[in-house]
Amino acid sequence: MTATKAGDSPSTAPESSANDHIQPFYLLHKASTSRNSGRKSAVARRIDLSPSKSSTSTSTNPQFDPHKAFQSVWSKIDSAIKDVLRDVNTNVFNEIHSWVRQSFLAVTSSGVPTFAEATKSFPILNHATSKQLFTGLVLIKNMEFVDDLLTFEELGLFLKSHACHVANLSSLDLSTKNGVGGCLRSLLRQFLTVTLDAADISILASWYREFGNHNSPVVIIVEDMERCSRSVLSDFILILSEWVVKIPMILIMGVTTLDAPKTVLPSHVLQQLLPSKFTLGSPAERMDAVVEAALVRWCSGFSIGHKVAVFLRNYFLNHDGTLTSFIRALKIACAQHFSIEPLSSVLGLLAEEDSEGERLLALSSGMAAQVDSNLASCLTELKRSQKCWGIVVMCLYEAGKYNKVQLLDLLCEALDPDIYNSIASDTHTRSGKGFEISSSSNHSMARQYLQKDGPISQAIEKVRDLPASSLSQLLKSWENLAVDVLEINVKVKELQPMIKLEEGKSLKQDFTDLAKRHTSRTAANIKESKTINEKAATLLANLVRDFMRPIECIPFHEIACFKDVEKLQSALIGDPRRRIQVDLLEFHEFLRCKCCSRSCNIPLQSMPDTSIMYTLAQEHGDLINLHDWFQSFKTIVTNPSSKGKRKGKQSPLPKKRKETNEHENKSESSIQARLCRAVTELQITGLIRMPSKRRPDFVQRVAFGL
Amino acid sequence: MEINEGDDDEFGFSRNYFLAKELGGSAKKSTRKLSDIDLVDEQELRTAVANIEPKHEKEIEELMSSYKTMYPRWVFEIRCGFGLLMYGFGSKKALIEDFASTALTEYSVFVINGYLHSINMKQVLIALAELVWDQLRTKRKNPSGNLSRGQQPFNSRSMDDLLAFLDEPLAEENDGFICIVVHNIDGPGLRDSETQQILARLASCSRIRIVASIDHVNAPLLWDKKMVHTQFNWCWYHVPTFAAYKVEGMFFPLILANGNTGQSAKTAALVLLSLTPNAQSVFRVLAEYQLSHPDEEGMPVENLYTTCRERFLASSQVTLNSHLTEFKDHELVKTRRHSDGQDCLYIPLTAEALEKLLLEIS
Repeated sequence: MTATKAGDSPSTAPESSANDHIQPFYLLHKASTSRNSGRKSAVARRIDLSPSKSSTSTSTNPQFDPHKAFQSVWSKIDSAIKDVLRDVNTNVFNEIHSWVRQSFLAVTSSGVPTFAEATKSFPILNHATSKQLFTGLVLIKNMEFVDDLLTFEELGLFLKSHACHVANLSSLDLSTKNGVGGCLRSLLRQFLTVTLDAADISILASWYREFGNHNSPVVIIVEDMERCSRSVLSDFILILSEWVVKIPMILIMGVTTLDAPKTVLPSHVLQQLLPSKFTLGSPAERMDAVVEAALVRWCSGFSIGHKVAVFLRNYFLNHDGTLTSFIRALKIACAQHFSIEPLSSVLGLLAEEDSEGERLLALSSGMAAQVDSNLASCLTELKRSQKCWGIVVMCLYEAGKYNKVQLLDLLCEALDPDIYNSIASDTHTRSGKGFEISSSSNHSMARQYLQKDGPISQAIEKVRDLPASSLSQLLKSWENLAVDVLEINVKVKELQPMIKLEEGKSLKQDFTDLAKRHTSRTAANIKESKTINEKAATLLANLVRDFMRPIECIPFHEIACFKDVEKLQSALIGDPRRRIQVDLLEFHEFLRCKCCSRSCNIPLQSMPDTSIMYTLAQEHGDLINLHDWFQSFKTIVTNPSSKGKRKGKQSPLPKKRKETNEHENKSESSIQARLCRAVTELQITGLIRMPSKRRPDFVQRVAFGL
Repeated sequence: MEINEGDDDEFGFSRNYFLAKELGGSAKKSTRKLSDIDLVDEQELRTAVANIEPKHEKEIEELMSSYKTMYPRWVFEIRCGFGLLMYGFGSKKALIEDFASTALTEYSVFVINGYLHSINMKQVLIALAELVWDQLRTKRKNPSGNLSRGQQPFNSRSMDDLLAFLDEPLAEENDGFICIVVHNIDGPGLRDSETQQILARLASCSRIRIVASIDHVNAPLLWDKKMVHTQFNWCWYHVPTFAAYKVEGMFFPLILANGNTGQSAKTAALVLLSLTPNAQSVFRVLAEYQLSHPDEEGMPVENLYTTCRERFLASSQVTLNSHLTEFKDHELVKTRRHSDGQDCLYIPLTAEALEKLLLEIS
């Protein structure tokens, strides 16, 4: 279509594609054969050699293939995230599993039918209660189901690994279109791993008896019960309950409220259910776990800058609110980082060679060959400093937990280089003057730069008010966190004996004058305990000052740190509604032609027709009179000198018509054709709607404002 | 590119201004008719549309080639498992196909033209499955073939099976996936939710990567969060091209194609020809009355009934009503209240169109 294409591609292309335009689908080209014979590294090299790639000298080495680097880094982050999410769910999963076991025993206790009995196509009925179906209602704390898709998948895997037969159904399977036959087929496909046209549950029964499967329960998970078709779900449950004697089936359904079954199912179906309730972890809890795994513990080597963190937080809070989208945003950031930053592939090496404990050694020795030692030492420094940073953030988080501080908020503040710089520069000048940094002054100074009610100062503040028992717990958790880093660990340990002493004292006191506990606390006692709190708070403040160096303040952080928030935003949030209108109204920004360089608000003859039409449309309300629109358009395209003076008020048929009838006619038809195409294009973009039968002379504007 | 707040206000303001103007007095509202324009013949219009002189060819070309620098990034993101979603004003067909044929040579590329009106997704899946199978066969080249084609040929398998086949894990990472290009994933042939669900499942298959374009401002409403975040996995790219929507607009009716009278008379004829001769005759009675009484609001129902009885066209009010219902459903006939309160029937066509129509059905 464009000259570039014609120039680049062989001349046969346009002819073949002319036909392809009206094919619903076609094969553009097959994979070039060379890659099929080649190995993976060869692929990487081939890409690097292609002229379009802005290749760096290092990228010829297959070890530095940014894609491989991305894969290894992201797989690390991904598995870390999955692990923590699994941990969050472990308790519920165990609970569900033991319930499944109990239910299974209850179902089978009434006796197992013989093979012949069980595979008969009509069910046996012993007594009414045996028709009841054990049902687990898993309460989801999200409004959106997206975040829990993975949870249910994991639950399925978990139960499978504990010797259950599991099938996952979604609302798509239980839709009116598929009917109850559709979900039976889906069950058969998942259990028997073959597809049968006949959807008959007796097949499932014989499968269950035949292959020694009958020691395990059959668990059927419906992910989003509320979105299923009511009638199909009811029928499905009735069928299951008829057969539950022969196949020990147990149903698990995801619901957002516990009332859901009552509202979705009719009462005779409800009677068949024996419900039990389980509750999944809250989104905030999971969010904190994910942030900790992916961003605070520097597991992968990839990290994000302050602006990106703030953007991600706002995106989570204002835009979407799902964890899935947060993780996806992180993945896009990670991919963009590796495609933009040439040196970033070093991280891939780092992630690959990473084995706990010998990290630094591996880093320096393994990379010395490829990276100059300067870079290697910088990376080592980066790693060490990040580790300390992570520990301090976690210490703050542990303290902040008592004040319900969210880790994501804390992270945003902890990544802010401005705060750190102002603290650091200030301490530097003060100590230069020989000013002894007393704990309290230092603290207040730090607070001055931290946001007043920011999460960091909140956390530090909270430490002051903690009761002794919580404080000792907090110190213990700090000690655990800092177990790898000596400098921090030592400082924490200094406080430990004091707290023990204090604890012992208060305990003793509690015993001695239990009755007068509230009144007998002497002022001195309070003061003493306060000093311990004070010391802990000071310690935390000092840690913030000394070790919480945001990654953006460290040299060579560009290797590991993604900062391009605009790129991330544009890839993550497309805004077609606004952008397409802006394209039309401000096309000059993109085309940069000489002819239309003036302000875009006055339509010019040289502008693209659709832009002229859309600019004119701005002068109308909800409805545009086609006649007027046409006249305005015609005035603009026929009068190069007019600057919109005679817009819209001109008679369409000038006197000249007789002499230049043919020419006139031709230009008239071409103007009408241009208008038609412009209107069609506006229709394709959805900005206008065609005239209705009721109002044949008006088109309707659809989008207003940006 | 960025529009600041002031501009937002300006647009809002202009809208309010013109809305107020429009509402202010019905007298001010333009009542001009499209028929006041001396519309050219449809045939001529279509030829003229085909011959429109393009504007800004050079600039458009430069803009398109400026996107070439993005190709490596796009390839990278496709390999990372993302789907690319191109949007912005102008046809992106040429751009995406150029990208596919220069930068994606090592992967098979399969194109779906979403701007067409009917696309059979099952056929698409079968074609894709065959392509994948073909690739696997040529790659392994072992005649012993532990790679049996499965139990049945692809075209007798169900959608679920086809999708499951396409979702089989790859032997090596990034090994031989197929890239699907969907022009206008928001196009008329793909717009229904069922097709979008299939496309979403297709996009999430391990052997498939997707590059798609949208043009409609409301296209994102087609997808729910599950589709966006876990299946399509879009990376958005704003790539306005300002290229003409030549192919995409091919199937849209031309707004000035003199449609109103001609078109409806033609459709009316088609509808009438499919009806019984009796029904046609009833319509003829009505039409002749309307032609001979051009100044009246229409033919009173009673009047029509007696005439039809006289000519043995309808034996009872019930049979006549069934004909009338048929006419009304196809908008051949409408009712309005006569000045004396009686219900009248009329045909919403001009006299010439009606005469032409009568000739056609006779």
